Amino acid sequence: MSAPASPVSAHAASSGILLDRARVALSGRIILHDLTLHLTEARIGIVGRNGSGKTTLLRLIAGLIAPDAGRVRIDGLDPATDRKGMLAALGILFQNPDHQILFPTVEEELAFGLRQQGRTQQDALAAARAALAAEGRAHWGPAPTSALSQGQRHYLCLMTVLLMQPRTILLDEPFAGLDLPTQDRLSRRLAALPQRLVTISHDPAAVADADRVLWIDAGRITADGSPAVVLAAFRAEMARIGERDADTDLAG
Amino acid sequence: MLTLTSPVDTAAHRLPAGVKLAALSLWTLLLFQLASPLPLTLALFAVAGVHLGLGGAAFAAHGARMVRPLWPFVLIVSLWHGWTGDLAGGAVVILRMLAAVAAANLVTMTTRLSDMVAVIERLARPLARLGLSPRRLALALALVVRFIPVMLDRMDRITDAWRARSPRPARWRVLVPATLAALDDADHAADALRARGGAD
Repeated sequence: MSAPASPVSAHAASSGILLDRARVALSGRIILHDLTLHLTEARIGIVGRNGSGKTTLLRLIAGLIAPDAGRVRIDGLDPATDRKGMLAALGILFQNPDHQILFPTVEEELAFGLRQQGRTQQDALAAARAALAAEGRAHWGPAPTSALSQGQRHYLCLMTVLLMQPRTILLDEPFAGLDLPTQDRLSRRLAALPQRLVTISHDPAAVADADRVLWIDAGRITADGSPAVVLAAFRAEMARIGERDADTDLAG
Repeated sequence: MLTLTSPVDTAAHRLPAGVKLAALSLWTLLLFQLASPLPLTLALFAVAGVHLGLGGAAFAAHGARMVRPLWPFVLIVSLWHGWTGDLAGGAVVILRMLAAVAAANLVTMTTRLSDMVAVIERLARPLARLGLSPRRLALALALVVRFIPVMLDRMDRITDAWRARSPRPARWRVLVPATLAALDDADHAADALRARGGAD
């Protein structure tokens, strides 16, 4: 079930997420081994253990790092170089909201992305306030981002991404650290979105409703297919490893 | 600027930031024209009156709390002028400082950071010819204000982690891990900035 080695023609791949023999090495160690993938489904899940390379894959798709070999295209654009073009193509929800929030107040955080998309400060602030009002959170506008709870900060990060209306949204462990009601609310919200969602998680439950699930291990695709098949195999393997002493190996 | 947020919403919140900053500049210039204790006392009363008029007693009390960090300067100036016997000169320096800082705090308390930053961006526009992008300058200011509480919180957690495993207080020992944590935070902030189109 591993990916084919032949290059995907640029033709067939003008939309969606395309990786063509993309390799990532960090300080000499190969993290992702020449991945070739074409993701066009609406709901895509990526599972793997800690250190499997799934976060590196997400950073590669988001254009936060460039491949050391091969190429990556998102809707036909190179995510690592065409940063302005990527704003409309792809948004990313980081695992830790504190790694995402750049501004001292809620409305500035929301407005920043819109300014980056070329709107004026006044226009961006007005749109930010309208979005907050539509969510019943108008009073959040001038609030300091540091005063929000963890769940509220997570929610703000999602709103920030949604306001920029990207065609694809990458979610890194979207439910980690959230209490159960917040998880429920967030998963309902995500399920209703028209965008393509790529969810990365170590938890098979987080991607059980996906159209397609990839299982990454040691920087390679171990399995790729429907969640029923891939997740059953993933769960069985995780249970098998858990029976043994799971974490004695050091990376590298 | 972090704790300088007003507990009450006032009419001054709706004035343009540029107007408030210009008024503050004029006010400070005026304070330096006044050279005797009596007019400066009146000026200080005027600042207090503006606080009261805008937001009532709670607002004025908040404003008074905001000038409290000046006490070491008041003490040093008092001691020096007490020593040299120039009491009127000392009173002039102290009153002028209090009236200027209270007025500056009033502007900060009633102005959103992004509005302040927009004024700085406008004023810094000529610097663009020297290669300094006003937008980058503004962004840098916002990042400082955003990350000071994050870093203080990080220091607290490192101190906790130290105390959980040591009978001695951590003190300066948190500095190295806190510096490394700050560098790590900077990497994450750079990622977040890049994810939303970068700083150009």
